[in-house]
Amino acid sequence: MRRVRLSCVALATWAWAAACNPVHNQAVAALGGETPGVPKGPTHRAGEPCLTCHDGSLGDPSAFTVAGTIYIDADSKSAAVGAKILLTSIDGSSYTATTNSVGNFYVQSKQFTPNYPMSVTVTYEARPTTIMVSHVGRDGSCADCHTDPAGPSSAGHVFVPANGVTP
Amino acid sequence: MIASAVLVGLAAACSSPNANDRFLATMPDRASFAVVADALEHRCGSLDCHGTIYRNLRIYGHEGLRLDPNGRPSSQPNTTTAEYDADYQAVVGLEPEILSAVVSSGGQGPERLTLVRKALGLEAHKGGTLWTAGDVQDTCFRSWLTGATDVASCQAVLNIP
Repeated sequence: MRRVRLSCVALATWAWAAACNPVHNQAVAALGGETPGVPKGPTHRAGEPCLTCHDGSLGDPSAFTVAGTIYIDADSKSAAVGAKILLTSIDGSSYTATTNSVGNFYVQSKQFTPNYPMSVTVTYEARPTTIMVSHVGRDGSCADCHTDPAGPSSAGHVFVPANGVTP
Repeated sequence: MIASAVLVGLAAACSSPNANDRFLATMPDRASFAVVADALEHRCGSLDCHGTIYRNLRIYGHEGLRLDPNGRPSSQPNTTTAEYDADYQAVVGLEPEILSAVVSSGGQGPERLTLVRKALGLEAHKGGTLWTAGDVQDTCFRSWLTGATDVASCQAVLNIP
């Protein structure tokens, strides 16, 4: 009986510790609330760093391995609907994701778990395939690096150049 | 007896180095560092790894973090001289005493450097194991430490995805 009680206490302590990650909590809080009228689901929070919440932590939504949003150009937030994102691991394994109606795509571990570093190409309609210049070192959340506005530490949101060449 | 020991201890604790003392470092060659920097930037300098100001080893360059506030990752210009300078300072500034010892010994024992151990997977590294002993990346960096940079190996690193 005492052993059961101790196990419960240990389990509860672990669960509390797992849920109390102030760094993680602050990162989630910094994202702000949901956009009014957009339900939680595949079309929510376009352009935001998906894996901040979808990281598999206790109490968080389902985990993704790679996720992001693709836009048509650098100057607007028009979604590149139906864009194909080819993810290729360093070991040669690959997976192709497709963006939805708001430009979001997401990959679950049962579909593909990259062996980093990972290279990325994006194909959209008749535009030339865009090849990401650098590889992805370890972060499957596109918007962790691709923030707006563009600056010395960000190329801005992910978009598919009309001529296949980034400015 | 105890009081004497305490006094001696206090004296030692309160003493400071001679103000004229200087650490004379033997640093690897800056002139041949650009090709090494290109290799480091390509393999280590992505924005989610060492292409960020939040890392002890901060790497600037065309594929990632730009030094110029008006610069943009993956956009022109290519890695600038100022960025090469910053990368050099970042590398030599990590463990200057150890680096000096390695260079002074002709590049012997580079595993004394945390940068090398992490890249080889000999020490915990969020980026995983990136080098294998003897591969072009390892050869590039080690050769730089010896003072005879293997340019071909460094350039070959750029072909790694």
